Amino acid sequence: MLKNYFKIAWRNILKNRFHAVINVSGLSIGIAFSLLIGAYVWGELQVNKHLKNADNQYIIQSKWKDPNMGYEMATLGPLAKELKEQYPALVANYYRFDGITSSVSKGDKHFRESLQICDTTMLNMYGFPLLYGDPKTAFKEPFSIVITEEKANKFFGKTSVAGQTLTIESFSGTKHDFMITGVLKNVTENSVQRVNSDNNNQFYIPESCLKFFGRDINQWRNLYVASYIELQKGVSPEALKKPIEQLIKANTPADISNNLQPYLVPLKEYYLNANNGLVKKMLYTVSLIACFILLMAIINFVNISISKSSSRIKEIGVRKVLGGMRKQLMTQFLIETIILVCIATFFALIIYSLANPFISDVLGKQIPKLLSFPLSFALLPAALILFIGLLAGIYPALVLSALKASDSLKGKLVSIKENILLRKSLVGFQFFTATIVFIGAIIVSKQVSLFFSKDLGYDKEFIVSAQLPRDWSAQGVQRMRTIRNEFASMSQISNVSLSYEVPNGANSGSIPFYVEGTDTTHTVATQSLTTDEQYAETYKIPLKAGSFFSSPYNANDSLKTVINETAAKAFGFSDANEAIGKKILAQGGQPITICGVTKDFHFGSMQQQIQPIAFINVDLGKIYRFLSFKLKPGNISATIEALQNKWSALLSGAPFEYTFMDDTLKKLYQSEIQLKKAAQAATAIAMIIVILGVVGLTSVSVQKRTKEIGIRKVLGAASFNIISLFLKEFVPVILIAGVISVPVAYYIMQGWLNDYTYRIPITALPFMISIIILGAITILLISFQIAKASAENPVKNLRTE
Amino acid sequence: MIELKHISKWINQGGKPNFILKDINLKIAEGEFISIMGPSGSGKSTLLNVIGMLDNPNEGEYIFLDQDVYKMKEKHRSQLYKTHIGFVFQAYHLIDELTVYENIETPLLYQDVKSSERKAMVADMLDRFQIVGKKDLFPSQLSGGQQQLVGIARALIAKPRLLLADEPTGNLNSKQGEEIMELFTQLNKEGVTIIQVTHSEKNSEYGSRIVHLLDGRIERNAVPNI
Repeated sequence: MLKNYFKIAWRNILKNRFHAVINVSGLSIGIAFSLLIGAYVWGELQVNKHLKNADNQYIIQSKWKDPNMGYEMATLGPLAKELKEQYPALVANYYRFDGITSSVSKGDKHFRESLQICDTTMLNMYGFPLLYGDPKTAFKEPFSIVITEEKANKFFGKTSVAGQTLTIESFSGTKHDFMITGVLKNVTENSVQRVNSDNNNQFYIPESCLKFFGRDINQWRNLYVASYIELQKGVSPEALKKPIEQLIKANTPADISNNLQPYLVPLKEYYLNANNGLVKKMLYTVSLIACFILLMAIINFVNISISKSSSRIKEIGVRKVLGGMRKQLMTQFLIETIILVCIATFFALIIYSLANPFISDVLGKQIPKLLSFPLSFALLPAALILFIGLLAGIYPALVLSALKASDSLKGKLVSIKENILLRKSLVGFQFFTATIVFIGAIIVSKQVSLFFSKDLGYDKEFIVSAQLPRDWSAQGVQRMRTIRNEFASMSQISNVSLSYEVPNGANSGSIPFYVEGTDTTHTVATQSLTTDEQYAETYKIPLKAGSFFSSPYNANDSLKTVINETAAKAFGFSDANEAIGKKILAQGGQPITICGVTKDFHFGSMQQQIQPIAFINVDLGKIYRFLSFKLKPGNISATIEALQNKWSALLSGAPFEYTFMDDTLKKLYQSEIQLKKAAQAATAIAMIIVILGVVGLTSVSVQKRTKEIGIRKVLGAASFNIISLFLKEFVPVILIAGVISVPVAYYIMQGWLNDYTYRIPITALPFMISIIILGAITILLISFQIAKASAENPVKNLRTE
Repeated sequence: MIELKHISKWINQGGKPNFILKDINLKIAEGEFISIMGPSGSGKSTLLNVIGMLDNPNEGEYIFLDQDVYKMKEKHRSQLYKTHIGFVFQAYHLIDELTVYENIETPLLYQDVKSSERKAMVADMLDRFQIVGKKDLFPSQLSGGQQQLVGIARALIAKPRLLLADEPTGNLNSKQGEEIMELFTQLNKEGVTIIQVTHSEKNSEYGSRIVHLLDGRIERNAVPNI
């Protein structure tokens, strides 16, 4: 019986090859996309799940009354350690690290790498497996280092590197050899090795080396230490609220204890919820898109199957007369569907492999390869086939098997005709979805281009930045200034600036300034940017009043500062000019004089309001990370090569790893760009599926109405008349779907844009473009198909009946 | 074998019932060969469908092999129908996607006959109708007469006691028609009860009794006047 079902299903598929191809291609694209998204979501959900005792692992976050006062993801240096030592009944273990970047070398290989100077608990607490080395002794010796498999390969080309040495530079410019005592196996992503995308730390150095780097994580004043604790079994995070409060009260000054409230976040949830649930939102968004696309593909299937059913009516009738029960007929149709879905899934798996790199790029995450899934996942496609097969097949099966034998033998179409409304609504739903995705893609793209537009407030074009080796001292700064001048003298370079920050949202922290003459109650938490006097010139930041320090360089400028307009307002100056010459100071610090006010520019993401900013002279701050080069337009690659050569000459031993400002911004708006790419990909896929659906339905319609076309032509209808006849089936549906999609898309996109302080207005244009393009493509396709059909000799058409 | 009591079927048109069958009373004994005649629209096919359990009347009682058909459970009725009734159509109604062999085999599939048994039964049938050579052909590759032969073979494969034929020769030329009628006579002699709907005076005379329908009523019910 079953064999018979398969046989007839296969013959039917072959007989209706064209529709089978449309069905299979639509479905396989839909399934492949869903599988890719599913794999991506699965991968994201695995983050932190494989840590030892994952249920009891927490990260300490900081809630500041004024978010500018500290980082949310880090907290007071000694907190985690003290919690463990003073409350051993509550806390099982702790782990902290100080994330830094420095130059790491092996022979003539120099790279800037992110390092994690960390508590030695790291190797035991999370169960990270070591390929080489002993977790108990790896951190015993001073100047030992544990690296990951990936980095071992990068520096040595192999992983068996225990006992080898790496040379690492400190911030004062001295170098020291570190002995590799362990190689960590690559493990699934987790928030310990990588607390966020900027902190991909793959070098682990024991806490005993803090001094070499001039760092201290055991000071209550240090607000920037990433801290984790493992609670004892059965202890809830609330139990630590009191102990944390007491520790803070006992150890920190009032300006911290009054403003800071650390809290625990389970590591299992941390990754998904970090940055206002950025990852979670992305997961929801793409899952939703995938579901809708799969649904659209299934709708195509249902629509085409039902439209095609008239050709099967006789068969159904005969089978009923021959004694086929409804259940048996349904089984037959379901098996047919499932075979098609099987074929589609097979192709989907091929598409999965082929499209994996592309979608991985779109989502900014490596999507697991097919072979990297646990073996049990092989059941998943089977389950999926059954599920989709049932979903897509059940309705056609119900409709077809319900036909009455005597009616179907007479060729009556009663029950099929009633479903035209449903079919049209399904098509309408597809258009509705496609239009929304399309509109969304346009609006997201527009908002993303705003991020890269002139509205930034500075000129990002032709700016390249590169990280410098550190020597954070007065001499170090002087030396860098000299090197900067050397670069500036190059003919291809128009400006060079030495600074701690580039406009990527990450600055060294905020300083609570107040205007001299007022008191600390008028403090303004001001983002500090430590720069030289060339910064405004290099980034073309326009000035509102005064000057950006002095040009040429004046050594006395170190006690001057430049603020932005927002800061001027926050300090209570009625206009920019009034601020010039005024002094501001932080509690206990020297007063510095405002010598200039810049116009506001976007230092960080446009999601946030522009913050008050104070430029601190690099001579005062004595910290720097970047040289920013403003290149002259022309042969960029030649300029970069010239820069590279100059760099090697001036800063031998330091890697020249340059980034264009565009790429820096791309990193800042990574998730938005991912969303944009995802929306564009989804639009393309949705369009393909809609088009397949329309082509399929039209061809069925043409098949059914061949006779009508023939008669009409005999009666003198032109091709145009016949085309418009068929367009009437679809155009109203497109229009209605378009009209309904407008408010829905508006509502969704308004919600998305509301997350941004600086956003584009929603105009009518994206809506019109989407509806018109979708409509035009559909109309063209239908017209083309019908024109082809109606060009045939009408007599031939009539005879085929 | 069959007893129809007060069978009526109508459709409502403009609020008034329009009768397709009106108060049909008919008894058919096992082994009869009945021809149903009448002009177009007189209800012949509907009556045949009612007897074949493909259609339900609005009113009346139907006794088939001493069982009240309309009081039976759906499953039981379908079982009864599957095992005892075979159908032959004017337009043959073979399944285009199946070969001759598979078409004949289909009723057996729906009766869960074992594979080896099926093979033997279909082979017998092919042999009997001398269409062994055609068993792997599809219906579209056969002539009308051959298709109808397959249709009859399919109707007989499950060894039904009642064969219902709706204008079985309507699409055939007279020679082919005659052959089919001869076949029916032969079958009838072997004990199969046959009810055929026909337009042809000549074919009706193969039957042992002719039922004349007019406007949904039985007008005349007589033995042919040979």
